[in-house]
Amino acid sequence: MYPRPFEYVRPHTTADALEAIGAVDREARPIAGGQSLVPMMSLGLATPDLLVDLAELPLAGFERANGTVKLGALTRHRELERSAELAELLPLASAAARYIGNPRVRNRGTLGGSLSHADPASELGAVALTYGGFAVIEGAEGERSVAIRDFFQGFFATAVGPGELLTRIELELPPPGTGHGFYEVANRADDFATAAATALVTVDDSGACTEARLALAGVGDRPLRLERVEEMCRADGLEQDALERIGEAVIETVEPEGDPFTSADYRARAAGACAARALGSAWRRARGEHR
Amino acid sequence: MIVELTLNGSPARLEVPAHWTLLRMLRDAAGRTDAKHGCGEGVCGACAVLVDDVAVNSCSLLAPQVDGASVETVAGLAREGEMHPLQEAMLGSGGVQCGFCTPGMVISAVEAIRLGAAGSDEEIRHSLAGNLCRCTGYGKIVAAVAAHRDGSAAAGGFAGAAPGGADRTEAGGEGAAPAPGVGIGP
Amino acid sequence: MSKVAVDQAHRVVGSELVRHDAVEKVQGKTVFAADFSLPRMLHAMLKRSEYAHARLVAVDVSAAEAVDGVVAVYTAADVPNNTVWVDVPGQTLEVGALKARSNVLADELVRYHGEPIALVAAETEDAALAALDAIVVDYEPLPVLDDPERALDPDAPQLHEAGNLLAHWELEEGDVEAAFAGADVVVEGEYQTQFIDHAYLEPEAGVAWRDTDGVITIRAATQVVEHFRDVARILELPDNKVRVIAPYIGGGFGGKEDMTVEPYLGIVAASTGRPVRMVWSRQESLIARQNRHAVRMRYRTAADADGRLLAHDIDILSDGGAYALLSALVLLYSTTCAVGPYRCPNARIRCRTVYTNHTPCSAMRGFGGMQVTLGYEGQMDRLAGELGLDPLELRRRNFLEKGDVLPIGQPLETAVALPAIADAVLERLEPLPEPGGPRRAVGRGFACNLQPYGRCVWLNDWASAWLGFELDGTLTIRIAVPDIGGGQASSLVQIASEVLGVAPERITIHIGDSALNPLTGTTTATRQLYMSGNAVLEAARELREALAGVAAGLLEVEAEELEFRVDGVRVRGGDRELDFRTLLAACASVNVAWHVLATYRAPKGIPWQAEESWRGRVFPDFTYGCHAVDVEVDLDTGQVRVLGYVAGHDVGQAINPQSVEGQIEGAVAMGLGYALSERVVFEEAQNLTATFAQYLIPTAVEVPAIESVVVESGEGMGPFNARGIGEPPIGPPAPAVAAAIRAAVGIELTELPFTPERVSAAIRAAGGGR
Repeated sequence: MYPRPFEYVRPHTTADALEAIGAVDREARPIAGGQSLVPMMSLGLATPDLLVDLAELPLAGFERANGTVKLGALTRHRELERSAELAELLPLASAAARYIGNPRVRNRGTLGGSLSHADPASELGAVALTYGGFAVIEGAEGERSVAIRDFFQGFFATAVGPGELLTRIELELPPPGTGHGFYEVANRADDFATAAATALVTVDDSGACTEARLALAGVGDRPLRLERVEEMCRADGLEQDALERIGEAVIETVEPEGDPFTSADYRARAAGACAARALGSAWRRARGEHR
Repeated sequence: MIVELTLNGSPARLEVPAHWTLLRMLRDAAGRTDAKHGCGEGVCGACAVLVDDVAVNSCSLLAPQVDGASVETVAGLAREGEMHPLQEAMLGSGGVQCGFCTPGMVISAVEAIRLGAAGSDEEIRHSLAGNLCRCTGYGKIVAAVAAHRDGSAAAGGFAGAAPGGADRTEAGGEGAAPAPGVGIGP
Repeated sequence: MSKVAVDQAHRVVGSELVRHDAVEKVQGKTVFAADFSLPRMLHAMLKRSEYAHARLVAVDVSAAEAVDGVVAVYTAADVPNNTVWVDVPGQTLEVGALKARSNVLADELVRYHGEPIALVAAETEDAALAALDAIVVDYEPLPVLDDPERALDPDAPQLHEAGNLLAHWELEEGDVEAAFAGADVVVEGEYQTQFIDHAYLEPEAGVAWRDTDGVITIRAATQVVEHFRDVARILELPDNKVRVIAPYIGGGFGGKEDMTVEPYLGIVAASTGRPVRMVWSRQESLIARQNRHAVRMRYRTAADADGRLLAHDIDILSDGGAYALLSALVLLYSTTCAVGPYRCPNARIRCRTVYTNHTPCSAMRGFGGMQVTLGYEGQMDRLAGELGLDPLELRRRNFLEKGDVLPIGQPLETAVALPAIADAVLERLEPLPEPGGPRRAVGRGFACNLQPYGRCVWLNDWASAWLGFELDGTLTIRIAVPDIGGGQASSLVQIASEVLGVAPERITIHIGDSALNPLTGTTTATRQLYMSGNAVLEAARELREALAGVAAGLLEVEAEELEFRVDGVRVRGGDRELDFRTLLAACASVNVAWHVLATYRAPKGIPWQAEESWRGRVFPDFTYGCHAVDVEVDLDTGQVRVLGYVAGHDVGQAINPQSVEGQIEGAVAMGLGYALSERVVFEEAQNLTATFAQYLIPTAVEVPAIESVVVESGEGMGPFNARGIGEPPIGPPAPAVAAAIRAAVGIELTELPFTPERVSAAIRAAGGGR
């Protein structure tokens, strides 16, 4: 019903935060937005001894630099959803952000928190995988970069080690002629995704697909890029009949978990529908046909 | 620990254990029972309050996180003893039955209007999807928000699109807020 | 009854009055059960079973008692009277077969996941939580019974001494076999419904304290203040030493009809002498609070070539969970309503409810009249399909009429306005929208229902109300009605205002107090407007008659010439008047009282005699409805979007039209959740639906705009000929949605809820997928 007792600190520097998180004599956890962690504590699913509040750290903000966009770990979902500039630079992130929880969750929840929590159904994980780039992790020894494709390592498991923090991600900007697509199947508005697909499609002057990227959330122990399906897009195009085959291929490829609420079979089928629809709308956007 | 904040416009100094949520602090230390405990998971919205003018689920914030902040519950929306016009609209439309979801609903709706996220009935419903109601079926609540929006727009209550308004339309696809499962799709 | 006529054109009744309680609620000022606190208040929490079926080998509370701040820990042995036989709530008479055994704390056995085992009282909630963690329970797991079809097998685990059959009702009317033999068409169907949680926004909560003269006072979110008697029995106190107060309640829907926190609060308050609060977490409410029964229904239905019903042969098996609670009464509703609002000359109806290790099931909005709508409407749709008839036309040919008798023997004594309701709904319908994309299909469905209002007449229901003027002309109502959000209190204000002229703002109503207010029965069974409303109406009329007599003397006119207005009494058509203050002073001088205590008694009935072929009246009356729904089905994902909804009901007379609409819209929303997404999921009787994120009640996005079509036949047994409306609109949505989905994609769904997974699997099975 309530979080069990813990101690709380709010350091002012990243170094201090890292030192607190690195405590070996007790369980220390960082807290950013807290929109996953606090409910988990209330449900008894997390019982840290020490919470290290990252609110004062200079980890918010974004900047464009050399074909990438750097996003600070403390970027709130709300900013992704509402910033005109980010919508221009990273439209897929902007589109996906509005599906994260409800408006109040988005007001507080952060990019870094979401990615570090690594719920396989998280939209932002799939978004990051689709754009590609690097996750920048800071530890006592300094910064290191991990390719985003290596960042997600399993159920709620990432490349962030003990005593480390994800401080920013650097996403690759796609080339001109790229359109984005997002599609999610969820039980109700604001619910976790049963499955979600994020897509970027690039076309040439004739409107044919030259590059396609597709990632899925909710169908494995981590977000997945489906390279085989991406190859199908380049080879067969993205007309309606090709999209149908792509949907079937996705259903056959993914191996999601089932549970008493949602079967593995249904998750796969939902993923197939999401993939076809996300790719279809990405393609139409790339061709300038989508409003 | 000591948490110092501005609560509904007045300074407050509360001593609470660090592990208390904001909701618990409001209800049990500050005596503000107008934020309700509905689920403790951040799903139902009954606990919604404003922190530095931004709506949050107070069950999903910790008390120490609002040290130095300004917190408003639904009581803080009153001006000089007068109800907020949205509250008047809720009474007029019949949007209050048991009343338990109402404070959180009002907070969320006030923010939605302020951010320009209450344009159509469909958009209002999306903005309020995180505020669960088991009594009304939502229709009269949506009507109240629309009525208030129109009333306050006429009075110049909010000026044009909030930052990112254009993107919101774009993100929703086809100018409409998405229905469940309809992303940016056909 | 008074012979003074009330003005024919209603002043207040029928107007859209802002509810007095809403003004405080919208500002967050209402003090709900968990908002109340007293100095030195303790906090109580329950240790609950982790197993669905187990023997309690040992319960070690010693470590819990040693936790700093813990004041007391109780187990079954500490409860003065741990096992009580609870009557149907709010009853003053014994009702035999409907009494149910209730355990306060588990003693030797636990029979469901979440059953309370121990009770902790501590200075703080944190101490109580720590104490719960420190209680050590040694369980010996026992075989679990989670299949109601197996419950009556001889080798099934026996959950209670008398076996697993909780209750049964059977009747056979007419010659069923002959009817089937001579039928032109016979259709069969098997329908399955799911466990449902009430999911009110306000979790169970209350505060108790020992008041003056040792009266244990419990202020709790309850629909039934009459539980003071049950608490008294548990505490081995005289009835008049326990008092239950119901504040404004954050939703009930039947989930706060049985006791929730009351016994535990009573135990702590009585034994410690200190005030105590108990608030259940949402998660324990979801896991351990009673559910709506899951029901399996088999229907065989015979009709002639014109679609007229000849016979129904119905077998219903309901999963009652681990304890009886109100299951027997719920099943009676199913038995009464099983053939729907249609004439059916021959019927065999067999209903049984059995024990399993699922969470105990009990009351929920619609009671047993809810599940059977899927059965009877599903059969009507099958018949329409077989005969090539329009579904609504088939229903019209079979609608009941005033004067008909249901198979159980229930006479219908008020208008059955179904044809008018159906016409009104059709008129309100817009054309079916176009599908929103290439892989979408749209369809429209209809459903009709009947739902009783007022309690079962064998319970000899009554309600009392006290009305009195204050000397300054304001009016006070005292009536122990619990207000669960449906405007129970404010409609009584409206009625009093209508009769006595006093403006609603000058009326104060004191509600929900078993010691200080006249008892008026439970806020359940769609009975409050009918019962309390009639009680207030009766009291108001008597009061009016008394005052009119005095005023007539003073103004030297006949009493019939007087009008009661906002400020006082006036001669009709003239200008001579008397303000209330003066009138009341005059009453004092002639020893005429200006207050009345009135009791309204519902029609009585003779209880079912199991030995004979019993036929008779079960309920006072019914409310009828006809709904239409438009849906859009996503052929690939199976998601069903509700595009539009029209709900029609005859309410007799709408006391407060806005409240009527509010009840209709809220009930339809609940019915849509039942149809499409809500279910409590068990695995070997372990309740897996532990969070509000997992229990899927509809949000503002899933619920469409709902059009209420309110028909007023002018016939009803409530005040001003009103009929109850709280429950009836919850029944039609599920069958209407089933019909709409069938119209859209040609599949037949018979298992609730119609989740996207089930819809998409059915589409593929029918060859419509990819």
